[in-house]
Amino acid sequence: MADHTLKRYVLQAAAASLVLFALLYVYVAYVAVWQGPKLAQNPLNQRGAAARADITRGTIVDCNGVVLAETQSDGVRHYTMGEVMAPVTGYNGERIGSAGIEGTENRALLGLTEDMSRIGPISQLFQSDRGNDVELTIDSRLQKIAYDELEGHRGAVLVMDAETGAILAMASTPSYDPNQIEAEWKELNAQSDGPLLNRAVQGMYPPGSSIKPMIADAALTDGVTTENERFDCNGILDVGGGFSIHDYNGEVHGQINLRQALIESCNVTFGTLGMRLGDDRLKKAYERFGFTESLMGDVVMERAHLPAFGSLAQGDQAQSAIGQSTLLVTPMQMLLLADAYANNGKVMRPYLVDSVISANGVVLSKALPETWRTVTTPDMASTIDAYMADVVKSGTGRLAATKGVRVTGKTGTAENGQGKDHAWFIGSAELPKQKIVFAIIVEHGGSGGRVAAPIAKRLIQTMLMDT
Amino acid sequence: MKSWSLLVPPIGILIFGLSTLYLKAHPIVGTIDASSLLGLSYLPWLFSVIVLSLIVQAILIRRHLDTMLFPIALMLASVGVVEIARLDPPLLVAQLRWLLIAMVLMLVLIRMFPLVKQSLQYPYILGLCCLVVLLLPILFGTEIGGSRNWIVLGPFSVQPSEFGKILILFFLAAYLSEHRRVLSLPVKRFLFLKMPPLRFIAPLISIWGIAVLMFVVSRDLGSALLFFGIAVIMTYMATGSKSYLFVATAFILVAGALSYLLFNHVRVRFQVWLNPWQDPNGMAYQIVQSLFSIGTGGVWGTGFGFGHPGFIPEVHTDFIFSAIAEELGLVGALMLMTCYACFFWRGTQIALRCRMDREVLTAAGGSTLFLMQAFIIISGVTKFLPLTGITLPFVSYGGSSMVASFLLLGIILSLSRRGEDG
Repeated sequence: MADHTLKRYVLQAAAASLVLFALLYVYVAYVAVWQGPKLAQNPLNQRGAAARADITRGTIVDCNGVVLAETQSDGVRHYTMGEVMAPVTGYNGERIGSAGIEGTENRALLGLTEDMSRIGPISQLFQSDRGNDVELTIDSRLQKIAYDELEGHRGAVLVMDAETGAILAMASTPSYDPNQIEAEWKELNAQSDGPLLNRAVQGMYPPGSSIKPMIADAALTDGVTTENERFDCNGILDVGGGFSIHDYNGEVHGQINLRQALIESCNVTFGTLGMRLGDDRLKKAYERFGFTESLMGDVVMERAHLPAFGSLAQGDQAQSAIGQSTLLVTPMQMLLLADAYANNGKVMRPYLVDSVISANGVVLSKALPETWRTVTTPDMASTIDAYMADVVKSGTGRLAATKGVRVTGKTGTAENGQGKDHAWFIGSAELPKQKIVFAIIVEHGGSGGRVAAPIAKRLIQTMLMDT
Repeated sequence: MKSWSLLVPPIGILIFGLSTLYLKAHPIVGTIDASSLLGLSYLPWLFSVIVLSLIVQAILIRRHLDTMLFPIALMLASVGVVEIARLDPPLLVAQLRWLLIAMVLMLVLIRMFPLVKQSLQYPYILGLCCLVVLLLPILFGTEIGGSRNWIVLGPFSVQPSEFGKILILFFLAAYLSEHRRVLSLPVKRFLFLKMPPLRFIAPLISIWGIAVLMFVVSRDLGSALLFFGIAVIMTYMATGSKSYLFVATAFILVAGALSYLLFNHVRVRFQVWLNPWQDPNGMAYQIVQSLFSIGTGGVWGTGFGFGHPGFIPEVHTDFIFSAIAEELGLVGALMLMTCYACFFWRGTQIALRCRMDREVLTAAGGSTLFLMQAFIIISGVTKFLPLTGITLPFVSYGGSSMVASFLLLGIILSLSRRGEDG
């Protein structure tokens, strides 16, 4: 029969075993909680990457549901429109990083709301194995036309809904094929014409005469001129110091008012206004229109490069009033300038992502049009807008005129010291369905009126056919 | 009613775990075709396991045996089955089949226990059997997964050490209960230690020797540690002599130091334990991946089916604890450990109620075997102790382990009968 001592020893041994086991509890908790974060983030730990790889990246579609980028069943990301849509979709690669919507909407496309992989089964409420779809404001047909029009040149085309800020087209040439980018990465980076650069938002150009609507606005607002003042254009403006400004092709405009000066893009008149405005008021005008700002979010815009206001000679004041000097802007800034006059003095914040839709069809977020800044009064906006309508009706922008559509615009032919002038055209068109604004630049294309304005017409006609 | 409700958690885990996996594999609702039904071919096995577990519980109630141990064991087995189905789906049916076989064999053992119990009266025959079973793999063993502790018999591979632990438990219980008075009488004094004559402790020393041999020759550190540990603890239970503990500690230190000096694989394993980060993609790959698993799981885990425990080699056998810790988190891991602690405590209570010395020792030793085995492998995969290849009882994939665990459970259960003369 078992005696008492035996059972006492058994109990002692059991207690000791349990104490030892309790030590293991503490140790396991130490590994999981104390060392856990460090172990989870250890570079040798492939689990984070594996979790990401498990998620099928969502699809990117245009405003009509046309697929722009999707992950095929073999896991390869396919960009249906290749280089045409490259400035919009961008790319995503393990070694090369990401750009465009693939970059800015990465978390949405992966369906990641937060890093919640370590909160247990609850995390699965927020995470499916398929990311969200992103629906863009881009119209793929318009984008194709824009790209085709630019083909053979370097340049950029931007089209935006004037009243909402929805970007309808954003083309940039030369471009790259996002389907091949990982293979061609080295060559693309080495190419001197920078195909990886999205010229629409990153390209820096002198705006040339396309800046003149803003100068007219500033001159009227600051009272350095009136709508009725007559300027005498003899084709040459002496800006002091032995320098002078000439009109394009040696034209002489004679006795003209501000309206006619804008229609004919008279450098003498606007150079005069620039000198009258002086550094401070020029600087204020550029600030008022947001040229000192950059944009973040789904549309990333670089800040403009402004001349060193405060220490400009008269010549540079005159030059920066006709969009030359050391002034450099992006096409996106010029698009927003055009929007100011097409939209009653309000510049809408540009956006590309219309909505984010979960794999099971729930709309997770929907873009709300938002005023970026109010830059001028509605009265002033309508005055300048009327001037710009005349530019297309009877001035340098005649080639953009489209039957049955009210088109406004301003041409620009920007000297750049590296060959032929850059051809600019910015403006708006009142289509039956919506009002659009556009900004077009063809690098070294020559005359804005002859090269860029017809592209605007093609875009307007395309949109007319759609409706 | 209480006895039946204890079966709800394990059966629930089985059903819900496997349903979760099925739904995850077939996310589209409404389309049922032949291929998706093929994924359910385990259903008859699952059904049989559930029915048999109900039958087992009914028999235990009828026979007035303990009704808590079996549900805890089934709980562990359910977690194991579900995790194995997630880690390596083709092994699911095999594991369910082993579970079924193990439960049947346990019933047979309970039925025949009076006969089995008689063997406790022949310690030396048991000792001999023990020697034979343990020496088999050393002599004729096949190396699987780095340890030469398998015997291949036609289509089956058996791990004799899994069954050897039952024999060793019986031998120790029989031998110690017979000699405990002699063993506790200090006859000789050696320094400050009180030791009985050598011929009485010779069997113990030979078990320790076998353990060391297993480690050095078969490279089966897990079993070696288990055998050594159970011999020491049961000797203490029987004699209450701290001298044995001291001698055992000295013995293992000397043996460890010698094998460290003599054998390269021992050295490598020790160094991997001391600093796995020196060679995280080579020798230490397994333990590093295991630590990553547990660390990634954190407190709440990644969620069942959403972790990546597949990076660990042999995850479904020795490393299943890490997989559970990754997907169910620290919470799940500690619950699993708590199952072992409860199981052990319940087993100890049964031992304390037994009447005969050898029954007390068998029940207490058997319970300790489970706890110790869980302790050794969990310590190994968490780098608490040097890594040792051994299964997590009831949870790991494997027939030998499952059958041996349920046989041992059957022995403890048989000893829990109340109201009758044991």
